[in-house]
Amino acid sequence: MSTTTADSFAAPGPGTPESTRPVKAATLAGAWRTFLVRRVVGLIVNLALLVLVTFLIVQLIPGDPATAIAGESASLGQVELVRTQLGLDQPLPVQLWTYVSGVVQGDFGDSYRYRQPAMDIVMTAVPYTLTITIAAVVLLLVLGIALGMAIGVATRGDRRRWLDLSFSVVTGIISSIPTYVLATGFVVVFAVLWRVLPPAYSPAYNIGAAAILPIASLSIGGICSVARIVRRETAVILEQDYMRTARGWRLPTLTLYVKHMLPNLLTTALTLSGIILTALLGSALITEAVFAWPGLGGVIVQAIAVDKDYPVIRAAVFVIGLISLVMTLIIDIILGIIDPRTLGGKRD
Amino acid sequence: MTESNPAAAVRVAEAPADRARTFAWNPGLVIGLVILVVVALTAIIAPLVFGAQATGVGSDPGQSASAAHPLGTDTLGRDMLARTLVATQSTVLMALFATALSSVVGIALGIGVWLAPRRLRELGLRLIEFAVSYPTMLVAIIVAAILGQGVVQVVVAVAVANIAGFARLTANLAAKISASEYVTTARLMGVPVHRLALRHVLPNMAEPILILIAGAFSGALVEISGLSFIGLGAQSPAFDWGTLLNDGLSRIAVNPIVIVGPAVALTFTSLAALMVGDGLAAAANPRSNSTRARLVRAEGEPALVAIEGDDVVLIADGITVTHGSTGRPLVSDVSFTIRRGEVLGIVGESGSGKSLTASVVARLLGEGLEASARRLELGGTDLIGRVSGRTLASKIGLVYQDPGTALNPALVLGSQLSDVLTIRLGFPRRGALGLLARAFEAVKLSDPEGRLRQHPHQLSGGMKQRAMIASAMSTKPDLLIADEPTTALDVTVQREVLSLLKRMNEQSGTAVLFISHDLGVVRALCDRVLVMKDGRIVERIDDVATLSEDTVEHPYTKQLLAATPVVAVPREARS
Repeated sequence: MSTTTADSFAAPGPGTPESTRPVKAATLAGAWRTFLVRRVVGLIVNLALLVLVTFLIVQLIPGDPATAIAGESASLGQVELVRTQLGLDQPLPVQLWTYVSGVVQGDFGDSYRYRQPAMDIVMTAVPYTLTITIAAVVLLLVLGIALGMAIGVATRGDRRRWLDLSFSVVTGIISSIPTYVLATGFVVVFAVLWRVLPPAYSPAYNIGAAAILPIASLSIGGICSVARIVRRETAVILEQDYMRTARGWRLPTLTLYVKHMLPNLLTTALTLSGIILTALLGSALITEAVFAWPGLGGVIVQAIAVDKDYPVIRAAVFVIGLISLVMTLIIDIILGIIDPRTLGGKRD
Repeated sequence: MTESNPAAAVRVAEAPADRARTFAWNPGLVIGLVILVVVALTAIIAPLVFGAQATGVGSDPGQSASAAHPLGTDTLGRDMLARTLVATQSTVLMALFATALSSVVGIALGIGVWLAPRRLRELGLRLIEFAVSYPTMLVAIIVAAILGQGVVQVVVAVAVANIAGFARLTANLAAKISASEYVTTARLMGVPVHRLALRHVLPNMAEPILILIAGAFSGALVEISGLSFIGLGAQSPAFDWGTLLNDGLSRIAVNPIVIVGPAVALTFTSLAALMVGDGLAAAANPRSNSTRARLVRAEGEPALVAIEGDDVVLIADGITVTHGSTGRPLVSDVSFTIRRGEVLGIVGESGSGKSLTASVVARLLGEGLEASARRLELGGTDLIGRVSGRTLASKIGLVYQDPGTALNPALVLGSQLSDVLTIRLGFPRRGALGLLARAFEAVKLSDPEGRLRQHPHQLSGGMKQRAMIASAMSTKPDLLIADEPTTALDVTVQREVLSLLKRMNEQSGTAVLFISHDLGVVRALCDRVLVMKDGRIVERIDDVATLSEDTVEHPYTKQLLAATPVVAVPREARS
């Protein structure tokens, strides 16, 4: 993440004391305007790319897509039916046009299996995936930052080396367990051995209770990763000149850490949470399989592995991509509020 | 594309780009490498030894742990331990191929983008950014949707998903390194481009890329197994850890022991790869160890005599600072006093101990240092031992070298500068802000109220330093410690800040301890000057007005004088 210098905000330069007309201090309104324009343009470009990618999913299938989708045992008539349904008999530009004009209205075609609009099937699953992903992100940010900051402060300047060592070992091991392995382990311990939580989603169980294990398995690895980073970042920030300045003002410990350190930590943590969030979305697709969670993961895997239901695959890929784009934008806006320096910079 | 394993993603994200000169082996790296060697040996040997056992149908299906089958048997009676060990080969090979494919293509793409003409490069970077912002798992699933299910398809899917990560790192590193000073220098000296790439750019990329490869291998392992786990990867009769885990999941309520083998194998192999990555990163940037700072009272005869008097603000007697772990002396027996309204300068080269001396007086000694003094009193308060934060905050004002880093970038000025007033000196918030606004006005900052609502990055360096001085003076301190306050500023701004300090000193009568490496600046501002070298005071100049090479004794001072042009600070020049 790059930071901007004073000049990009049109702040009055040095040497203003003698000027006769009153100089007004610049506000952030201009920076926000440029930021929003840039991000909205970026969002539109990314959406266009997303539409193109989902369009190409069918076109890039090796060999004859219609034969591949209809299956090896399909009759010639069935293959031709698939071909006309997907418009594969049309020239490519026409296909693209038909596809794009459908997508603009939210129409990805009808699911082969369920005979209803693919978008409806996907939208039914979206709330389930969003529930566990957002809960996991909030948990891992809050707990990860709190844990990392506490350990960072407790081990500053090489205090408590045992704590530092055990923290790195434990979080290192936990954060490298794949989420679906962790999820399977949780099922064994909490559902099979102790029988305190339901092993999988089912309308028979309370949805809250059924969501605990998926959320826990999605967030625990992330909490450890975030805590490790925040711990290291804490050590870096404690060495910064502005923390020395704050110590020079002899501020009490709580003010020092909560007011002067935390905002700087949040910048790093939120920047990373963009990466973590998209990673989580990916993990969620697989973890849902462990708990038979009726989210996007199940929908897309079923559509690929069993049904070859390409309208559903396209709609699901589009929606997942859209979710990660919107989430990234939201995180950037929050970042801008917390730390306006990020407004001018390009996220990377 | 982002790793499906957040840990790997994050580790890759923080892979350091700066190469350190030393390589320090560490336990994590060694343990990780040892585990990987064990995994590699298992991958080679296990199929030869346990191959029949792993695939042949056994007589006792669905068994729990027993002496014959420590990890139980599956529904066809095959030993799970043997199956897990044999699956090592297919799993590791798939991950290796995927990593190799993605790193080769990704690095080639990254270099290609970097070498491309500007327009193409911008476009390429945009596309890479777009690809990176997608979940790896989603990209892998898209590729699987196009290519179908199977071992080869999964390897290609995961490889494609990871290409963007390599391409981005390579392009970023190449851009960063080619902009670095040593490459610019080499280019100016006429070194041809291909030699530049071979001798300077590639070697400096090796380490971060190696770290990324370790992370990507771990990621590929987890992703490929994940795809197999949800049924998109290896199809029966082929099997890897992911399919084994999936088989186990369906029997989890009946025979949970069967998931142990693949779960443990996956976790440990991925952990080992991450440990190697972390170990490489740590080996490149070894962390220094230090202990906390402390200040103790030293015994002994005072070196200062005849220091009593009403107007003495600071008495420092026998300040000594040593490095905590090595015991190396950094400041030896430095003594001085400052009177009310006086500006005392300490001048010396880098490492002469002048800033350390100031930090002892300010009670802000850095970690890992030990200090002692026979006597340290400020305005009648003993500074050795426990002093309340309130006392220190009200008696000492501090101005630092670099105003760019001394202010908290995340907080507006009013918020951070008023803390000391509200929390330590008991001002109400509104009163503190009003006081600050007047202080800003006194240092000639335009639109004081507006400035208080700004973040530090919206001000120029000189303005930030004036704000710092205003803040330091807002507590009406007995002593203002200015540690190289003009070094980070450009020359015209330096003059402003110096005359401002002088004016503050004259108007309020606050004593100033002024640290600088520049004798020219010091002689223009200070009433008396101490010259420090190697942690000792080598010269005390009491009469700055008549200072010349003839009035000083120590050869070092003579050298300094000979090397400094005279700078005159016009008093009240700007008011």
